[in-house]
Amino acid sequence: MAQPQGQMILRDPALFYWILIPITVVMVLTGILRHYATILLQSTPKKQDLKAIRQQHNLLRGVNLRTNGNHISLDSMVSRKNFLVQQYQSGAYLKNPEAVGQPPVNPMTDPAGMDQMMNMVKGNMAMIVPQTLIMGWINAFFSGFVILKLPFPLTIRFKSMLQSGVNTRDLDVRWVSSLSWYFLNLFGLRPVFTYILGNDNAADQMSQQMQQMNPGSTANMFGPGQDPNKMYLAEAENLEVAAGQHEYVLEGIEDRMRALV
Amino acid sequence: MASTLLSLFAHHPPSSTHLLPSTILSLSQHAGPFLAHASSHPDTPETWLLYENLLLTCLRSRDDSSARRCLDLLTARFGSHNERVMALRGLYDEATAKSQKDLEGILRRYEEILAEDPTNVPIHKRLISLLTSLHHLPRAISNLTSLLSTNPTDAESWAELSHLYFTQRMYAQSLFCLEEIILIYPQAYNIFARMGEISYLLSSTQPNPSPSPARNPTDILLDALKYYLRSIELCKDYLRGYYGLVVVCRRLLKGKVPDRENVQGLYERGRARLAEIVARAERRDKGWEGYDEAEVEAARRLLDEIEEGEK
Repeated sequence: MAQPQGQMILRDPALFYWILIPITVVMVLTGILRHYATILLQSTPKKQDLKAIRQQHNLLRGVNLRTNGNHISLDSMVSRKNFLVQQYQSGAYLKNPEAVGQPPVNPMTDPAGMDQMMNMVKGNMAMIVPQTLIMGWINAFFSGFVILKLPFPLTIRFKSMLQSGVNTRDLDVRWVSSLSWYFLNLFGLRPVFTYILGNDNAADQMSQQMQQMNPGSTANMFGPGQDPNKMYLAEAENLEVAAGQHEYVLEGIEDRMRALV
Repeated sequence: MASTLLSLFAHHPPSSTHLLPSTILSLSQHAGPFLAHASSHPDTPETWLLYENLLLTCLRSRDDSSARRCLDLLTARFGSHNERVMALRGLYDEATAKSQKDLEGILRRYEEILAEDPTNVPIHKRLISLLTSLHHLPRAISNLTSLLSTNPTDAESWAELSHLYFTQRMYAQSLFCLEEIILIYPQAYNIFARMGEISYLLSSTQPNPSPSPARNPTDILLDALKYYLRSIELCKDYLRGYYGLVVVCRRLLKGKVPDRENVQGLYERGRARLAEIVARAERRDKGWEGYDEAEVEAARRLLDEIEEGEK
């Protein structure tokens, strides 16, 4: 047989008990701790005042009219459209009508934006601080140990992922170093956290990063940096177009239903 | 225990106005054992929704002490300044009020809360319904319109406003409010049926000259027919929709209609389908139990009346 002899490394079984299990346990515990710390750090969302609510919901009304206008008759649709367009263009629903025409406020100095930013910073801190600490802890105590042999072969590409901290060129990729075990835990513990903490936990850092990628569409429509007046004017134009393309859903329903009833 | 209650409430939402008294009673009888194990329930949104629903059913079945306990538990969990808890407390106070004077006191308290925080929608809604039950209708309507001017995407408020206008026989305004609901929930078959009902009434009671000459009673009736057909299209076994269809077609066939043959066809098919639904609901076939008994009864009477008229 020309198959290369598998490398044999004699490992002290104590490595297993004193490195593998402690790292795993610590990772799980910090995850749980982070979850509760995030909950504690979160400030209650600030209440919107009446004018802000009015500004937001009246725009939504226009959006509703545009998307579902086909379900009411043309007369009703057009009269509503005329009213809303007139209101939108005169800026009747704006939170502060004086701000029309002025450049949008800098999101860095906007107090409403600050609140949001503060929350993000808090979330990041809750993630970065423990991560740095644990990484330092592992580097100081456990660096350079080979603690695990995977039961399946892997290609050479995985070497940098599985053997960080152990700089040997010829070691088989199947051996996993302690630092790499930490990384594997960091990214792979999500099902464990879901099991312990429920579905929308803050323990898993991957999901948090995902959230930062696309700040949800459910968030406030008038985020910092948006000019509400421009949004209203755009919506007024959309409404004009929508009214021109009106197709009444109930038109000809008698013929349609003759077959069905 | 909690899960059975949850499924019970899913079938009979306590906020619905036409629950049978027997259903309410049997629901509220779950309150005692459920509250006895209050400390062992998990702290999930579903549990607290259950408490809220139990509170409503207990109030409706006059089990005030259980209702009080639900309210206390909710207050202990969410604090007395939570908007929803405030509204529930107001509801409890209204239900247990002894005299007209008590109610006026609660009304003043609501107004004070709103003066402090005008964005408290649950309390605003309580204020409006209390005004309605105290027969201060103009005030209720003006409050509702101000609520809707800041919150025009709230279907519940539009429905309430529609109902208030309806009680004042302002059918055109009532229809306008229903159209707003359609814009928010375009698949709401019950709203389409309601629009049919109100259009039907509008066509039969039009003593004042209509605003535009094109809208004669027959046109409005044809609109009603459209609305009913749409509600049937969206929900193919909707009893109210078929009932309305039959009634509207009958009225149309008595007068001059442009497309008589078509209406006649719709009338006959609608009648046959209505008869089928009534028969199945009365036999309590499997899968046909959900109909309101009063509605089935009314539909049967309509069918009997038509049959007698034909003889």
